[in-house]
Amino acid sequence: MASTSSRPRAGSGERVGIVGLGHTVFGRRTDATVQELAFEAFAAALADAGLARDAIEASVIAAVPEYHTQRSIAGAVNDYLGLTPRPTLLVEAACASGSAAMRQAWLAIQAGVHEVVAVIGCQKMTELPTEQILSLMGRAGDVQWESSFGTTFPGYYALFAHRHMHEHGTKREHMLDVAVKNHHYGALNPLAMFRKEITREKAAASEVVASPLQVFDCCANADGAVCVILAAGSRARGLRQAPVWIAGMGTASDSISVLRRPSLTGLPSAERAAAEAYAMAGVGPRDIQVAEVHDCFTIAEIMAYEDLGFCARGEGGPFIAERRSYVGGTVAVNVDGGLKAKGHPIAATGVSMTYEIARQLRGECGERQVPGAGLGLTHNVGGIGQYTYVQVLARE
Amino acid sequence: MFRWFGFVNYTPYTRVADFASWLKDGWLMGSRCRGCGATSFPPRADCAECMGRTFDFVAISGRAVLHSFTEIVASPSGFHAQAPYTLGLVDLEEGGRALAGFGDTVEPATIAIGMPLQLVPSILEDSEEIKVLYRLERPGTEWSRVGSIAAGERVAPRLAATPEEARR
Amino acid sequence: MDLGLTGKVALVTGGAAGIGAAIAVALAREGCAVAIVDRAAEAPAPVEAIRALGRPVAVHAADVRDHAAAARVVDAVVATSGRLDILVCSAGITADATLTRMSEDEWDRVLAVNLKGCFNYVQTAARRFVAQKGGKIVNIASINGLRGKLGQANYAASKGGVVAMSKSAARELGRFNVNVNVVAPGMVLTEMTRTLPAEVLARAIDETVLGRLATVEDCADLVAFLCSDRARHITGEVIQVDGGQYI
Repeated sequence: MASTSSRPRAGSGERVGIVGLGHTVFGRRTDATVQELAFEAFAAALADAGLARDAIEASVIAAVPEYHTQRSIAGAVNDYLGLTPRPTLLVEAACASGSAAMRQAWLAIQAGVHEVVAVIGCQKMTELPTEQILSLMGRAGDVQWESSFGTTFPGYYALFAHRHMHEHGTKREHMLDVAVKNHHYGALNPLAMFRKEITREKAAASEVVASPLQVFDCCANADGAVCVILAAGSRARGLRQAPVWIAGMGTASDSISVLRRPSLTGLPSAERAAAEAYAMAGVGPRDIQVAEVHDCFTIAEIMAYEDLGFCARGEGGPFIAERRSYVGGTVAVNVDGGLKAKGHPIAATGVSMTYEIARQLRGECGERQVPGAGLGLTHNVGGIGQYTYVQVLARE
Repeated sequence: MFRWFGFVNYTPYTRVADFASWLKDGWLMGSRCRGCGATSFPPRADCAECMGRTFDFVAISGRAVLHSFTEIVASPSGFHAQAPYTLGLVDLEEGGRALAGFGDTVEPATIAIGMPLQLVPSILEDSEEIKVLYRLERPGTEWSRVGSIAAGERVAPRLAATPEEARR
Repeated sequence: MDLGLTGKVALVTGGAAGIGAAIAVALAREGCAVAIVDRAAEAPAPVEAIRALGRPVAVHAADVRDHAAAARVVDAVVATSGRLDILVCSAGITADATLTRMSEDEWDRVLAVNLKGCFNYVQTAARRFVAQKGGKIVNIASINGLRGKLGQANYAASKGGVVAMSKSAARELGRFNVNVNVVAPGMVLTEMTRTLPAEVLARAIDETVLGRLATVEDCADLVAFLCSDRARHITGEVIQVDGGQYI
C-alpha cells in the first residue's frame, strides 16, 4: 500500500469550509453554452454564500475538454464569469474531474496560498456530432491494446458485472434495484434530468448495451454545471450559511487497463482513497450517514458499497436488496438520484455530489433529507477506476 | 507495422511495433525486460518493475482462461458493422492478460467464465490494408507460422530496442 | 542460380503437353514433386522426363471447368505429397473466329476453360495457401490478352481476364505471403503451333525484335523462377515472354 499523507491540516492549520453552493438543472441543455451554464451555477453560489465576486481569489474549473468545441475551456469559462485576471486552471480526471478540482482548491487553501476559491464543474456533452461521441466512447480504456477490439465504457463495467455475479452471486435484480432506488429519489429532485420513478420490470425490459448491462443500468450523458465556493476556516464563518467542513480527503490511482487489474470486483483506487479520507477525518464507514457514490452503472454502486466499507466484499447485492441504502437504512446513498437519475455531465458530477452532501448536512433537502445528518461522504470515480476521489464532509 | 493491429488502430507508432509483424507471421509475443527479467503481455518496452528501457520479445503459447466477458451491442466508431459482438478478457498461461473477440470455433452459448481458450493470431482477408489481430478460439486450435522460434527463445526487436541501439 | 525449390510440391494444370508440360519438367528439374492435371488421362512425355530426373510425378485426369474436381485434385495431391506449395495454371484452348461469326459455344468454351478453369484452381489452392501463410501461383496468359488480335476476341477476353483476376488475387493474398504472377507468352513453338500456315508463323517472327519465336523452355524457365523465393518480392506482375512481339 503506497503511503499517503494523512496530515489533516497544513498551512493555516484550519479546516476548509464549503460556504456557497450553486447547481443548474442537469439534462439536455439546448438553451445555453457551457460558459452560460457555469455562470448560472457560479452566480447562484455567490448569492448562496452572500459573497461578491471580488471575494473570489482563484477558480478551479473542471471540464472534460474533448466533449467541447471550445478549446482551452477553463480560460473561456473563467473569462465569461468575469474572473480574469485571477488564477485559474483546468482540472481533468475523467468522471472524477469535479472532485479533482475540489482537491486542487482545498490544497491551495491548505497551503495558505488562497483563502476563498470557486470550484466550478461544468460540462456539455451534446455539442459534438454523434460519430465523434461514438469515437470517444471507444477510447475509455487502453487505446493501444483494447480499443482496437471495440471496447466501450459500459463494456468495462459489464466485465466487472459478470465477474461480480460469478464471484459473489450478485444478481441482475440487485443491479436493477439500484436504478429503481435512484430514480425514486431523482423524482424528488428538481435538478435531476429524469424525474420519473421506474419499476424493476421496466428496467429489465430495456435494451442491452453491453451484456449484462441494459439501458437502465447506465447513466445518461447530460449537460450541466455546479459551483462550490470554498473558504479557509476563519473566512468561512460569519457568511450567509454555516460552513460545511471538509473533514477528510483521499485520492488514489490505479491502472487504466483491465489487463492489469488483478481483481475486477472492486476498485482498489476507491478503497485506498476512502481509507485516506476516513483516516484524515478520524471516522469509519459506520459513521457515514449520507453518501454520494459514483453510480455510472448500477454495478458501480454495488461495488462502491463494498469499496467504501458500508458492507463486506460481495455483500453489495444484499445491501441494496435489503434497502439498506435508502433513507432510514444503514447509510442513505445517492438520495438525489445519483448519476443514474440526475444524468452525468462528466466534470460537473463530483461537484454535484459535494453540493448534495453539503445540502444534506445543512438540512435543506426536504423530502429527501436524511434526518440529523452530520457526516457525509462523496465517492467520485474517474473512468474505470484509474482515479478515485473521496471526501468526508462534516457539519461540525 | 503497428498500424496493422486491431480492427481499428489508434496507436500507429510504438516501441513495440514489431509485435504486429510477429503477429502477422503467426507469433504471439510478450516482452521480457533485459534488466530484471520481468515479463509482460501485452509487451511493453519500458519496464514497470525496474524502470529498464531494453527488452526482448518472447513467444507465448496463447493458452488462456476466460476471466470475464461482455456482448457489446451499442458499438463505438468503426465497429457498427460487427455489432453485436462478444469480447473476452482472458488470463494467459504465462501471465498477463489479453482482451479480444471470439472466433468461429467458440459457440456463443458456451461462453462462460473459467472456460479454457486459445488466443490465435489472425490476418483479416477482406480489408483493403493489412490488418492483424488475435481471436479467442477453442483450445487446441492450430494455425500456421512463418519461420520458427524455440520455446522461451528471446528475440531482439527488429527495430532498435533503444535509440542507442538504433545509432549503432 | 539455386532456386531453392527442392522438395516443393507443384501442381500444373494443362501439364500434359505444350507449355504446361515444359513447366512441369522444369519444376521437376529444380527439385519439385510434380502433379499434372489435364483432360488427357495420361501425359507420357512429361511423365517420362520427370521420372528420368528421379522426381515424383502424378497425373490427375480432370476437366479444369469442373470446380468440385479442383478440390478433389488438390486434396489428392496433398494426401500424396503432404502439402502444396506451387500452382501453375497453364490449361488453355483456342477457338478462333472473327467476332461477327463467332458462335456462342466458341465463346463460352474458351472462357470456361481458360478463365473459369484458372479461377477454379487458383481459389482452391489459395484457400490452402492462406491457411499455411505461403504459396506461389503463376498463371499463363498471352500477349493476346494484352492487345487486340484478329479472330481471338474470346481468347483475348479469357487471357485478359486471367491478368485482371491474378492482380486481384495478388492484392488479396499478399498479406498471407502468397505471390501471384502472370506469364504472357507471345507465339510459342509447340506441336500445336508447328502446324500453322507458314505465313502466320512468319508474320509472328516479323513482329518480334529478336527474329525468332519463343520455345516452351523460354516460358518454363521464367515460370520456375517466379515459383521460387528468388522472386519473393515480385507479385501482381505480368511478364511477357515474346521476343519483343508486343512492346
